[in-house]
Amino acid sequence: MNTDAENKKIGVFICHCGGNISDYVDVEKVRDVIKDEKGVVFAKTNMFSCSDAAQQEMIRAIKENGLDGIVIASCSPRLHLQTFRAMAERAGLNPYRYTQVNIREQCSWAHTHNRQAATEKAVRLVRSGVARTRLAIPLQEIRVDTTPGVLIIGAGAAGLRSAIALADMGLKVYLVERSPEPGGFIKGLGRLFPDDRDGEEMAHSLSKAAIEHENITLFTEAEVVEKGGSVGNFLIKVDIKGQNPASFNVGAIIVTIGFSPYTPKNGEFGYGIKGVITLPEYKKLLAKQKRGVEYAGKTVRSIVYIYCVGSRQSAGDDRYTYCSRYCCASAVHTAILAHKLDPHISQFHIYRDIRTYGKYELLYTRALEADSLFLKYDPDEPPTVEKTNEGLLVRVKDRLTGNEEIEIGADLVVLVTGMTPGKGGRLSGILKIPIGKDGFFTEIHPKLRPVETVMNGIFIAGTAQGPKTLSESVTSSLAAAAKAAGLLLKGHVDIEPLVAKADADICTWCGACVPACPFDAIRQVEIKDKKIAGINPAACKGCGACVPACPKRAIDIEGYTDAQIRSMISAMAREAK
Amino acid sequence: MQRLDIKFSKEIGSYDKFNAAQCFNCGTCTALCPMGINILPRILFRYVLMGMKDKLMENKDAIYSCLLCRMCEDNCPEGVRIAENIRVLRRYIGRHVYGL
Repeated sequence: MNTDAENKKIGVFICHCGGNISDYVDVEKVRDVIKDEKGVVFAKTNMFSCSDAAQQEMIRAIKENGLDGIVIASCSPRLHLQTFRAMAERAGLNPYRYTQVNIREQCSWAHTHNRQAATEKAVRLVRSGVARTRLAIPLQEIRVDTTPGVLIIGAGAAGLRSAIALADMGLKVYLVERSPEPGGFIKGLGRLFPDDRDGEEMAHSLSKAAIEHENITLFTEAEVVEKGGSVGNFLIKVDIKGQNPASFNVGAIIVTIGFSPYTPKNGEFGYGIKGVITLPEYKKLLAKQKRGVEYAGKTVRSIVYIYCVGSRQSAGDDRYTYCSRYCCASAVHTAILAHKLDPHISQFHIYRDIRTYGKYELLYTRALEADSLFLKYDPDEPPTVEKTNEGLLVRVKDRLTGNEEIEIGADLVVLVTGMTPGKGGRLSGILKIPIGKDGFFTEIHPKLRPVETVMNGIFIAGTAQGPKTLSESVTSSLAAAAKAAGLLLKGHVDIEPLVAKADADICTWCGACVPACPFDAIRQVEIKDKKIAGINPAACKGCGACVPACPKRAIDIEGYTDAQIRSMISAMAREAK
Repeated sequence: MQRLDIKFSKEIGSYDKFNAAQCFNCGTCTALCPMGINILPRILFRYVLMGMKDKLMENKDAIYSCLLCRMCEDNCPEGVRIAENIRVLRRYIGRHVYGL
């Protein structure tokens, strides 16, 4: 195949996209202009380039014309980049010698009012695509061997469950827990919704299974302090209380550090007054009771629950504006448990909105049947709690009766508290994974890549990602386990070769590129006694931040070299010259 | 300011089958009521559920204005037996207030 830019044979395929493109861009005209472009030996329009038939035709055209590169002017690369790369490969063409030009989102859809101008723009876009392809060199995916081990940070329900899953698949698991015992939040909480299983028992059986598993190494009172390397081969250092630090290699990392329950401020809904407790405190209290509900030695006859404490708050220093999702169902379920302990107990739920979604709606109905009474409050006029001679008194305006002012005498006030981000300490700095606006770790895409982070090989699961119920937490932890295993069981990962590369002849190692790199991918290396910038292709994301930082212009991004970008600009601006 | 006393609703509940807990306050019943009394029947029922006996007694007229036409009941998405509940309230008032 020809690598000389001057003699490259390039094929161009322009897509109608049904009418998505051709309604606003004269695709035939684009083809007529482009077919005379330097290097273009074949130009054709397709009704749907992505269709099987069109792909077959393109493969034939590549083979028959001995094409060195192709340009497909169609939709967004997000949609069909992989489709056409695979097609190029089937035709025996290096997939990195194919350029996709977006004339749908970036042209036809954007300029529906002006067919002529849209057509002219399409010509320029395709021309620049041709220019880039002329300079394209074949690239190979970077293959990195992987270490068959996984680091899991946090040994709560999510961490333990994913550890067991991965260990069962034959991978070595290092489980790092900050507290002295594994088990996490569910320990001691008593029966949990929706199936009434005991939290203590679940935490115990998960911990036992993990501890006894030959593939799992558990570190308690330990903390990850250093992470080196990149996907497939991370080097981890863990500090362990009272022991020497441990170092080991893993191929992937799963973060399941969980959450912290919201602690109300002193005086917030009466918190601090005796008898005003949070939902986790109340659940721990109930877990110990056999018959009836007792608090501080007295029988409880009336309980008031106040919802959305530490969730959906718009004011204050700690802004927890999101809904914590689990608390409504948990409170309603706990009310059912209290009713079982004492059917004569009066229970009042003061809520803003009830979100017992999915199967948990049944819990709400069961609570109603168990004589729970629900009163809706206005966030502008929240309920107040005070201590009187008769006991606790809750005042609230009930919206459902048109703001009737109501007093409720209570023996116990339960503040239904939400989830706040887990205390990861320096973890986000060490792992370099992003934190969202609510303070939890964020995934790449909530629907399509729900447990992956922007750092290759680092996954997040459970409530480290945001408020979740226990079952959602475990579901996501198993998803993360599947992702990590999918990465490691193959023994290697293939990484896109569109990464930065420093020219050893030009680079003089000034180090200016190091602070520019957001992914910690650049280190000083020595080649033939010369110090230069070594870029770890497995850590590099090809973002290009290092390119302008280099005073010698020694760094290029493969597939987007300076020469390619310059030629694209020239091609676009040809008439302007 | 009214003090809630769930005992009262339990009293009515045990006195006869009063069902209104499943009401989710959609307001369909009130909108359909030919008598156009806006506390009928959902707010009235909430007074019972919350044990606001005084409020209930203040609204005796509304309780006796109901035509028992069942238009509300037929259209209640939660299947609250509205007309029967009104009868329960009338029986309670008849017995406890008028000594019938």
